[in-house]
Amino acid sequence: MPAEELGPLPAGRHGYSREQVAHHQRERLIAGLATAVAEKGYAAVTLADVTKVAQVSRRVFYANFESKEECFLAAFEVVVFHLRELVAEALEGIPDWPHRALATARAVLAFLASEPELARLCLVESRGAGPAVTVRFNAAVGEMEPLLRLGRAERDSDRPLPDSTEDSTIGSLVSLAYRKVAGGEATQLEDLLPDCAELVLLPYLGPAEAARLAREAA
Amino acid sequence: MFGNFPNFMYLFRTNGNWRYPGPVRALPGKASRQPPGPEPVSRDDAAADQRRRILEATADLVAEHGYQETTMEEIVRRAKVGYATFYKHFADREAAFLALLDAAIERTVGRVEAAYQREEGPWTDRVGAALGVLFEDVAAHPNPARAVLVEALTAGPEAAAKHEAALKRLAPLLRPGRELNPRQAELPETLEETLGGGVVWVLGQRLIGGEAGKLRGLLPETLEFVLRPYVGEDEAAREAGEVADAISA
Repeated sequence: MPAEELGPLPAGRHGYSREQVAHHQRERLIAGLATAVAEKGYAAVTLADVTKVAQVSRRVFYANFESKEECFLAAFEVVVFHLRELVAEALEGIPDWPHRALATARAVLAFLASEPELARLCLVESRGAGPAVTVRFNAAVGEMEPLLRLGRAERDSDRPLPDSTEDSTIGSLVSLAYRKVAGGEATQLEDLLPDCAELVLLPYLGPAEAARLAREAA
Repeated sequence: MFGNFPNFMYLFRTNGNWRYPGPVRALPGKASRQPPGPEPVSRDDAAADQRRRILEATADLVAEHGYQETTMEEIVRRAKVGYATFYKHFADREAAFLALLDAAIERTVGRVEAAYQREEGPWTDRVGAALGVLFEDVAAHPNPARAVLVEALTAGPEAAAKHEAALKRLAPLLRPGRELNPRQAELPETLEETLGGGVVWVLGQRLIGGEAGKLRGLLPETLEFVLRPYVGEDEAAREAGEVADAISA
């Protein structure tokens, strides 16, 4: 969402409804925050930075958000919403669990790789953006859990997997992606797909099949 | 008064606000601040104690409000030291936080490495011993552990680098497990750091949820998670079962 591509709204009569203008301003502020955070990091960003990039007034900011943190949450929410749509699209017509899991990983990594600034916002800057963002971040990555858990039906063994398996796997995936993005290699996130695939599939399909599908995904 | 001027600057200006200077308390090292008992406290001991109190207060406050929201004013108040004492030990809030990370990492990783070296059984036992000590240490010192595992990633590049370096020190304990895997050539290069990341996540989530007390119960499952890629599920589950039995015994 490059805010700088959006010029200011024309002054005077422009034919937009009050609702359209308000919606537009909110979007600009969210985009403005993402751009400002990409430039200076969340901690250093001021409201003035956000309103300057978004080309709206401070009053408009406060009409939309109570704080910088709330604006950050909104930006995070936009990305999560978009990712959900992308994943749903990627899953269409894929019947089997292993390939659904792979398609999910591929869709998420591809989007974040194509939007490195948003990848940084979500995976790196979110860590220092306050407790509400941490809670939201944990809930968002936790959305992977039910999908992973479906893999339990694929197991040959009758022995139940430990309850925290999915949680540990999610932590590993987050740490893998975090390290790539924090290291300035967000655009190469898709390189992680085989390692992610192996990590995700191993507990459910065993080492041979997990490795085979990981190679297939590469 | 003017001879002490630089030391008292803090009384007048903190966080850009002018403040009414409070009563000046006795300077550290003065007899009035020493316990009255028969044992005289040396200047070195007093300084070490101040430093320890500052680090402890930093860990507690950061766990309560997060790093960004913790101010130096709160740290000195909680540590019961003056600003001058704080500055004698640390240049600023970040320096204190970084020192806290160093101290916590040194203690915990040192103990984990020692437990791994001490265990003479097979590699799976050594990893079990090391992970057991890690969980024990995190449960015993939840706030410093939280500083390292969670908050370090919110406090700027230097703190994040310390978190990463600590994680990297654990990788050599896992790496020998590759020898036990018939497909070792195919194992992902990132495996050790990734598993470490999974463990850090699980510990961090429990600390955020205020569940440090429940960590012991989580140890067998986490051990199974860590061992599985190297020795397969059966062997990993067997080792985890032994640890679970030892815990309940």
